[in-house]
Amino acid sequence: MKRIVLLIILVALSELPMLAQTDVITGMWRPLGRNEDGSGMDGDYAGLPLSAAGRLRAQSWAPENFDVPEFVCRPHAWDFSLEAGAAQMRMAPEIDDPTQTVVAYHGRLSMREQETTIWMDGRPRPPDYAIHTWSGFATGEWDGDVLVETVTHLKENYIRRWGPMRSDDATVRIRYKRLNNNYLRATVIIYDPIYMAEPYVRTSLIWALDPNLILPPYPCEEATESVVEHGTVPHYLPGKNLLPAQNRNENDEFGTPYEARLGGPETMYPEYIKKMQPFPRPNVKKGAPAERGQ
Amino acid sequence: MVLFALAPIVHTQTAQPPNRPAWAWKPALPAANDGQVHILPVRGRVSMLVGAGGNITVSAGSDGVLVVDTGAAAMSDKVLAAIKSVAPRGVIRYVVNTDERDDFTGGNEKIALAGNTIRFRVATDPRVSDALAKDRASIISFVSVLERMSAPTGQKSKHPEDAWPDDTYSSAQKKLYFNDEPVLIMHVPSTTDGNSIVHFRLDDVVSVGDLVDMTSYPYIDLKAGGSINQVLEGLNRLLEITVPDTKTELGTLVIPGRGRLLDQSDVAYYREMIGIIRDRIQDGIKRGQTLAQIKAEKPTLDYDPRFGHTTGAWTTDMFIEAAYRSLGGK
Repeated sequence: MKRIVLLIILVALSELPMLAQTDVITGMWRPLGRNEDGSGMDGDYAGLPLSAAGRLRAQSWAPENFDVPEFVCRPHAWDFSLEAGAAQMRMAPEIDDPTQTVVAYHGRLSMREQETTIWMDGRPRPPDYAIHTWSGFATGEWDGDVLVETVTHLKENYIRRWGPMRSDDATVRIRYKRLNNNYLRATVIIYDPIYMAEPYVRTSLIWALDPNLILPPYPCEEATESVVEHGTVPHYLPGKNLLPAQNRNENDEFGTPYEARLGGPETMYPEYIKKMQPFPRPNVKKGAPAERGQ
Repeated sequence: MVLFALAPIVHTQTAQPPNRPAWAWKPALPAANDGQVHILPVRGRVSMLVGAGGNITVSAGSDGVLVVDTGAAAMSDKVLAAIKSVAPRGVIRYVVNTDERDDFTGGNEKIALAGNTIRFRVATDPRVSDALAKDRASIISFVSVLERMSAPTGQKSKHPEDAWPDDTYSSAQKKLYFNDEPVLIMHVPSTTDGNSIVHFRLDDVVSVGDLVDMTSYPYIDLKAGGSINQVLEGLNRLLEITVPDTKTELGTLVIPGRGRLLDQSDVAYYREMIGIIRDRIQDGIKRGQTLAQIKAEKPTLDYDPRFGHTTGAWTTDMFIEAAYRSLGGK
């Protein structure tokens, strides 16, 4: 009988949310190999549910954009690095001392020094006219053993480093799940009515728990001088994009048809592979180095 | 984070953005579309009033209250109540108009008359009874704003005389030292030839009026001397003033004419939009295209879901036409 009572108590304790769930995300996390998107060719939007506005916005982007003085220190957005940045990550809880409950998780990613605060204390969201930041305003809640982060008040930022953007009107949800004790998976879902035609769902990184990780600093100074003159806006005019994937005659190593490289919702789904088959494919020379982005 | 933490204290209403597709889920956020005036503490002495037409900037401190723009006339009582809640004992000393649009000057008369500038001397001569003898806040603007709000002798202006600026400048900038901080009122022509922006130097906040509109394409008033190139130059001038904090965010804060609070990178994105659209229209002109042909090519397509309007006082078509004409298109 005593054993049964003890078992009931243990089961009950395991249901206490903060005691059971705090350690799901806390720790130092080392990124494992990345599941790269499509060909990785610069200018390839395959797999992105771009709207017509999102596609033109992406096609206007020129690589010199990264050298615009005001953008030189621009960090990756938190949601972008979770799916593509291969960044080391630290997640630390902020504890309310009297109650020993989690007020927030403070996250930091090594790649371009992103930080986030996931508020767990149920505080209300700021009004829509408050400031927007790269990591936005984030709240967290538990869905079983999955931490679900909901982010609003985001600045516009890129979702690939060759033009596709996520707008400042987007909502981002990130689901953090611990796997087999020592691994963490983050699934990013972007709801953007401006540059996307459907939600964008992506899980590309898995992290391994590594208590010995040290996150390096990432200092960055405003660019007083850069290759882009102050006050100029580098971009491509419509139809003049010079990135390889936007040239129908350029190859990637898989011979991805040009039409697929324009992206759009249907390119996210397996059914598109069949639709893609009759499209003309650029010739792929065996053994030739393929065009690849980063 | 301080800005986020302060915000819930003064906002209670919620609203969902209009025209949002069902799949584009977003939590309900407090918004300012309920006919009320809402207060967003920005930094130090500076607050932003939202919901009265154009955004209003309030500096409150030991010298009293300085207001940048006054919103729509119909909202004046609510604006005064909001100012009172920000500065319960503060007297409105100055109003600055960033341009003459009704959404920015509509409350001039009522709000100026609710204040009182400390005058050089009180008129004791009974023969002196001009507007300067009234108890009212002084209204500052670039001189061309007064020229357009007033009327030549013998003609009637649509604006009452008490709404006219009475302290104009015609040089590059006017300086005040108010509430223990330097306040620079700078002439930055953009949507007209008479726009001002106001930099609160210690709190590091810039109030920019129509130079940045986060709800629409810029309202380029050709008759008042505005042009798309001036808007671009004005944005570049603003970007020279602003200094970001680490990670290229926060630092100098920017209160736009409409829409949410900004920092430098937001302005840089806005400048990017204006530059790209300008270049597309300019390219069409170079290729000999007519206005109709340029419109057919949709030079704003990528920005329309965020900034475009097909109805209302300032549509996308009107913006493209104004940009086209200001670039020399016939």
